[in-house]
Amino acid sequence: MTGATLPHDTAPRLRTLGQDLLGLALIALAGLAGYALFPDNLAFLTRVVSVALLVLSLDLIVGYCGIASLGQGALYGTGAYAAGIACLHGVTEPFLLILIGAAAGAVMGLLMGAVMLRAHGLPQLVLSIAIVQLLHEAANKASSITGGSDGLSGMVPAPLFGVFEFDLWGRSAYFFGLALLILVFAALRFIVRSPFGMVCRGLKEDPLRISALGIRAFPVLLKMFAISGAVAGMGGALAAIATQVVGLDSVSFEISANALVMLVLGGIGHLYGALIGTVIFMALEHVVAAINPFHWMTLVGAVLIAIVLFAPRGLSGTLDEAARLLTRSRWRAGR
Amino acid sequence: MQTALSIAMDALAYGMALFIICIGLSLTMGLMRVVNLAHGAFAMIGGYIASWAARDLGLGYGFAILLAMLGTVLIAIPLERLLYRRIYDRSELSQVLMTIGITFCVIGITNYFFGPTLKTIPLPAELARSVDLGFRGIAGHRLFVIASGLVVAGGLWFLIERTGFGIHLRAAVENAPMARALGVRTEIIYAASFALAIGLAAFGGVVGAEFLPIEPYYALRYMVTFLVVVSVGGAGSIPGALAACLLLGAIDVTGRYLVPDFGNFFFYLAVILVVCIFPRGLMGRAQ
Amino acid sequence: MKKTSFGRFVRAGALALAGVCGLGGSAFADTIKVGIIGPFSGPFALQGKNFQAGAEAWLAQNGKTVAGHDIELVYRDLPTANPQQARALAQELIVRDKVQYLGGVYFTPDAMAITPLLKQGNVPLVIFNAATSAIMTSSPLAVRTSFTLSQTTTPLGKAAVERGVKKFVSVVTDYGPGVDAEAAFKKAITAAGGEVVESIRMPLNTTEFSPIMQRVRDAGAEGVFAFLPSGPPTLGFVKAFSDTGLKKAGVKLFAPGDLTQESDLPALGEAADGLITSFHYAVSHDSEINKRFVAAADKAIGAPDLLSFPAVGAYDGMFVIAKMIAATGGKQDAEKAVEAVKGLAWESPRGPVKIDPETRHITQTIYLREVAKDAQGRWINKEIASVPDQKDSGLTK
Repeated sequence: MTGATLPHDTAPRLRTLGQDLLGLALIALAGLAGYALFPDNLAFLTRVVSVALLVLSLDLIVGYCGIASLGQGALYGTGAYAAGIACLHGVTEPFLLILIGAAAGAVMGLLMGAVMLRAHGLPQLVLSIAIVQLLHEAANKASSITGGSDGLSGMVPAPLFGVFEFDLWGRSAYFFGLALLILVFAALRFIVRSPFGMVCRGLKEDPLRISALGIRAFPVLLKMFAISGAVAGMGGALAAIATQVVGLDSVSFEISANALVMLVLGGIGHLYGALIGTVIFMALEHVVAAINPFHWMTLVGAVLIAIVLFAPRGLSGTLDEAARLLTRSRWRAGR
Repeated sequence: MQTALSIAMDALAYGMALFIICIGLSLTMGLMRVVNLAHGAFAMIGGYIASWAARDLGLGYGFAILLAMLGTVLIAIPLERLLYRRIYDRSELSQVLMTIGITFCVIGITNYFFGPTLKTIPLPAELARSVDLGFRGIAGHRLFVIASGLVVAGGLWFLIERTGFGIHLRAAVENAPMARALGVRTEIIYAASFALAIGLAAFGGVVGAEFLPIEPYYALRYMVTFLVVVSVGGAGSIPGALAACLLLGAIDVTGRYLVPDFGNFFFYLAVILVVCIFPRGLMGRAQ
Repeated sequence: MKKTSFGRFVRAGALALAGVCGLGGSAFADTIKVGIIGPFSGPFALQGKNFQAGAEAWLAQNGKTVAGHDIELVYRDLPTANPQQARALAQELIVRDKVQYLGGVYFTPDAMAITPLLKQGNVPLVIFNAATSAIMTSSPLAVRTSFTLSQTTTPLGKAAVERGVKKFVSVVTDYGPGVDAEAAFKKAITAAGGEVVESIRMPLNTTEFSPIMQRVRDAGAEGVFAFLPSGPPTLGFVKAFSDTGLKKAGVKLFAPGDLTQESDLPALGEAADGLITSFHYAVSHDSEINKRFVAAADKAIGAPDLLSFPAVGAYDGMFVIAKMIAATGGKQDAEKAVEAVKGLAWESPRGPVKIDPETRHITQTIYLREVAKDAQGRWINKEIASVPDQKDSGLTK
């Protein structure tokens, strides 16, 4: 790096822009490859996309703000139920349903953030659990609106652009979801790179220093909660559109815990990890459960233990490390 | 009045059962700083061993409890050496991930060997029969659970506050390098307190089996309850855990009596309130 | 035990296929695939195992060929109620595995997620369990061989009043089936001249039941009507009922048979002694055909004390599917297949049954049973009375 011809603040920015475009292209490519390789599993792939949005939203809170949450299902489920209820009441346009899910998720994110930010560490984690359990209970109780434990069913979303129906083969649902994921991912890369995202990250690394800069943590983190809620809500709305049923499982501790496991598996704090973790975990579950439904739990448990022992920074972190080692040795060799 | 007393007795018994199971988790989380989500799995293993000892070997209840505690600790020791030791100073997230993994494995293995059905631990006649308290009859084992809870609380307090082991443990927790420099063998201290916590889990699993029946999903089903109770009490504090168990037990039982339809709402609303008012738990230590 | 049953399970489909090919039958041995979705892992794995045992028992007794077509079962695991996953599994079975029939399904929301796919996929769904009445109205291609709570609960009303118990507290778990049971019982007991003085709904995860029992005591009821889904909490409930002295005080407990599922009975034991339940099937049902069914299903499940009601739903479900295959000549025609079994009547291990042509739900005898010991000293649900020809009345409330 001798010839510093570029002003030194635009060079890294350009490089990251290039990286982002490459990343988005890779995601799109992976999505298309998924379609080409498994054209008969589109409902499953759509589910992966929907859960990926949930895990991404969790990464915003865990990875960028350092707030552990075992209650992300609260936001996901709120989006799902909002979209489902709207659809049953005549709002059938899929784009509008996604927006409704996002708005509902964002509102719930604000509420959840307002409560969760009152505590730190473990009690905070417990607050997140309490919130998702309360919502679960509320959704069960309000069965006249939500369908209770029987699930909310019977919604028929309008065809995409008036042409592509959400049918048995699930092509429209999949491409709709994939496009949504790519858009959201691009927006999130932008957000976490923005000054706002940097402040969040700063609050995670060194809250004292940030407060010394005169920045109050609460509104910043609350904003991130709202964004996270919107993303999770879109994931939920996508599930509601694609499945045409919303069950209590969408606002449960189980889905929240699974999301956290997928995130840590993939590696926290750089969005790609969320995608990698979701895909690997769900594929593993899908394949192993199909081969041996009775004992997949033992295997998944063993994999989790192995990850903690041998890939402490998650799969993506380990990949990063490997890549760095590889490039460094090549660079040395090149000299 | 009678009703209130009666509810109070039930609440006390339930709270104490929770306390015996959870206090070990509070110790691991507060003193050793390990979020051991597999705690319930060890309680479950204890329950299985006791059930096996009592039903298949025909041992008495007391022996079954001893065997359960011993057996569970024996199973836990290699796990401590191989797995837990590696996560003592890792992030909470890693600890959560690994201990969930351990829980999954325990569930899968238990399911494989013991099948998915419920296992019971037969009570001796003295505990099974109803005891007349004047205002109502109460099952003998409930009184036994209450007594055990008090003994465990007192014993632990004595151990940690009044014995040499307790001093070493507290020293190791406050400042491990300094404690080592002063000749405290922190590894042994850690292993011993881990064993203690697991033993208590097994004890709780057995005596609490009348409340939380033993089956493979025990470990996952009650994981949240245990975690919530410990955090509300403040990890590592014995009086805190006791207070949390009694408080939440009382709210749970009274809530279910007064408005059973909304029982869970009360429980979790109480949790949110307590955590908002006492962000470190009822008697948590400053970090 | 597990090794054989589990191995058989995993390779069930493969073995069936390989076995047939190995025999070197006709070169055109066409295979009709049947996709079975159930909870084969997770907290409800026992119910899934029963699905599998029932289906395998039918195959063992009737062979793997129907009207010249080989049947291959494809199992898919859906551990807990999860409509998203249910839809994904059903879609995959229909589109990729090209199954001609879907069976199984333990939970209502899962069934609701699958029914919209049936018409497009041209596939009938034979439900082995999911017990909410409304499922049957969501698709004309669904047939059900299990029961609904209103079906199993209704006879309890008359039975209770006949035994002189009129003043009831109803205690149900607070979710869909519990609410169904509560409504059905209220209707039945009122019609029989009794009354429900208090209705309690408790959250699904309730583990400590003494406060509930205290309420029952306060209400001064003569009887308790209880619905809990089968599984661990039933133990706590039944124990609390006897521990708090209600049983001794002469209060009678009536419940749909979910409370005393055979696999839970060894654990419930003494505490459940004399409890009266109503249900569509008891493993101890005394008939030649049931004995043969139990023998075959025991072999398939590995351990006899695991066998209970979902197995018979699966067994009869396979019977219905076989009839459908025969009626359509192996061609994929969902409408014709369903049409063919409307009004179908046969002798099941549970007794005489019939598919109601209107609702496509099974019409059957409901039995009153009492928990008692059999000659070998095992706890069973002993049938003491029967109410024949019970239809599902759940939609007419």
